[in-house]
Amino acid sequence: MKKILILSLSCFLVIAFFASCRKKVEETPPPPQVKEQPKLEKVEKPPVKEPILTEDEIFAKKSLEELNAEKPMMVILFDYDKFFIREDAKPILQNNADWMKKWETVKILIEGHCDERGTEDYNMALGEKRAKSAFDYLLSLGISSDRIKTISYGKSQPVDPGHNEIAWQNNRRDQFAIIEK
Amino acid sequence: MIAKKIIILACLFLVSNFILHPQQEVVMSIKEGMPLIHVAIPKFSVKDTSPEAKDAADILYKVISDDLKYSRVFSPLPKNYYNYIKPLDPDKILFNDWESIQAKLLIVGQVSKQDDKTIQFEAKFYDVKSERFIRGKTYQAEKSILRLAAHKFSNLMMETYGEPQIFTTKVVFISNRDGNNELYMMDYDGHNQTRLTFNREKDYMPAWSTDGKSIAYTEFKGGNARLYIYNPFEGKRKLVFDRGTSFGPCFSPDSKKLAFCSTEDESNSEIYAARSDGTNIKRLTFNKSADVSPSWSPNCREIAFTSDRSGSPQIYIMDAEGSNIRRRSFGGNYHDSPSWSPTGDMIVYVSRVQAVFDLYILNLRTDEIIKLTEGYARNESPGWSPDGRHIIFSSNRIGTIQLYSIDYDGANLKRLTSKGQNKLPDWARN
Repeated sequence: MKKILILSLSCFLVIAFFASCRKKVEETPPPPQVKEQPKLEKVEKPPVKEPILTEDEIFAKKSLEELNAEKPMMVILFDYDKFFIREDAKPILQNNADWMKKWETVKILIEGHCDERGTEDYNMALGEKRAKSAFDYLLSLGISSDRIKTISYGKSQPVDPGHNEIAWQNNRRDQFAIIEK
Repeated sequence: MIAKKIIILACLFLVSNFILHPQQEVVMSIKEGMPLIHVAIPKFSVKDTSPEAKDAADILYKVISDDLKYSRVFSPLPKNYYNYIKPLDPDKILFNDWESIQAKLLIVGQVSKQDDKTIQFEAKFYDVKSERFIRGKTYQAEKSILRLAAHKFSNLMMETYGEPQIFTTKVVFISNRDGNNELYMMDYDGHNQTRLTFNREKDYMPAWSTDGKSIAYTEFKGGNARLYIYNPFEGKRKLVFDRGTSFGPCFSPDSKKLAFCSTEDESNSEIYAARSDGTNIKRLTFNKSADVSPSWSPNCREIAFTSDRSGSPQIYIMDAEGSNIRRRSFGGNYHDSPSWSPTGDMIVYVSRVQAVFDLYILNLRTDEIIKLTEGYARNESPGWSPDGRHIIFSSNRIGTIQLYSIDYDGANLKRLTSKGQNKLPDWARN
């Protein structure tokens, strides 16, 4: 079996040798004319690696307006004529305080607002008391007082133009604006 | 018949008040004023035949008639009375005729065209009984300011009778008609409404200086509520106070002081007083409650204000240095915005009952209270005319907030504005 394999291989080699010799002697015919077809290459934008920004860098990139538009600090609401911090406002203030602790350079303005069912004059005092309530609460949660300013707008800047219970509730509020970061 | 009606109305009023304020004693008083002086104002004659002079005569006649009717000093005679007598001949006045229709005074006006722009208006008034000329003046005015010429003549009549010249005084107020709360000014009768600030910031609570040349007001800008004094005629502005939320200015009638509120100390609103140029600021109230809405007495020795030291906002009076505080409103649980009358004997204020605001007048001599407005609305921010006969205020009775004037006895309610929302009026003393 092995002998047969060796024999046939040597035969093949001999034939191949002769064949190659003949080829060299004979003139090669010109290659057939083929239309040239360049290879297609899709040109794509070189992949650039997106730098992975840290949270700090994202925060630093935003303008105050952009930051305020995201409303990272939520509004709290008050009862009619009252300025104490309601139970439903406490977790919101906790979140606001946590956010301020995370971003230690932030300074905020607490705006106290009232609904239209108080007088212009007295509402100015009431709005300020509402701002002060949130101010005191944030202080109790460990925020430094020099990071917070307060203002009252009385009833001059309602957020809801309606004249019903829902609108009045929406308007009796503290808003938190970022004024420095 | 009329008396019976009044009694029934008064009873209804008392009953309704008893229901609304169980503890508040309300006494109605009808103030006896001076008798009105009956004035005959025949149509003004036109010297030439120009249409300009004729139009001008109509305007002048209308403005003077309206002024005198509003004055509560004079009373123009009903027009049909003039049908009983011969028309007026300015050169030959038949005083007996005018006396026969009960005229005490007779106004004679003659209008002519001076040139293309200017109108000449000669106005005189006579005492009918004595057939004597009292006073008169010839006014030359451009057509665009004829109303001012007419107001000046009405003022001349007021001055002659020892009354304040209210017809050229101005009202400052806040309007959002152009999209933002800005300062506006208008004539006492609602004409010539003019915008004063173009700062695109929110302006609030304006008050005239005593001479009627400057306005103290709050500007909300960049998270601050600062108090400024602004002279719109010269375009000059001066910062008064920039700590806390500062608001509610009121100049003293002797033009020496400016009272205002600020929350600079622990966010609690207190009352301060400065010189009228805004310097030398001193604090007047010291307590843990809110004190707002100062208003000077005419002799400048006292200040009325609102405080919630009793647990709810009530009206108090203190001496101008802040001492001797006494409460002047009782019953009800929400009184605010006191304004001391120029006559000294009355304080107008707002009382809130179940979210309805009405104006009341407290008579300081008799402790009587008169309810001035009626209507399920918010009537607020009252302020006096310089002569103490009229009160300007804001009300949302037509849905939007507009300015109104009403007389001290509840008569002559009149709406003055209609564009946008208009509020926080202050009537200049001069």
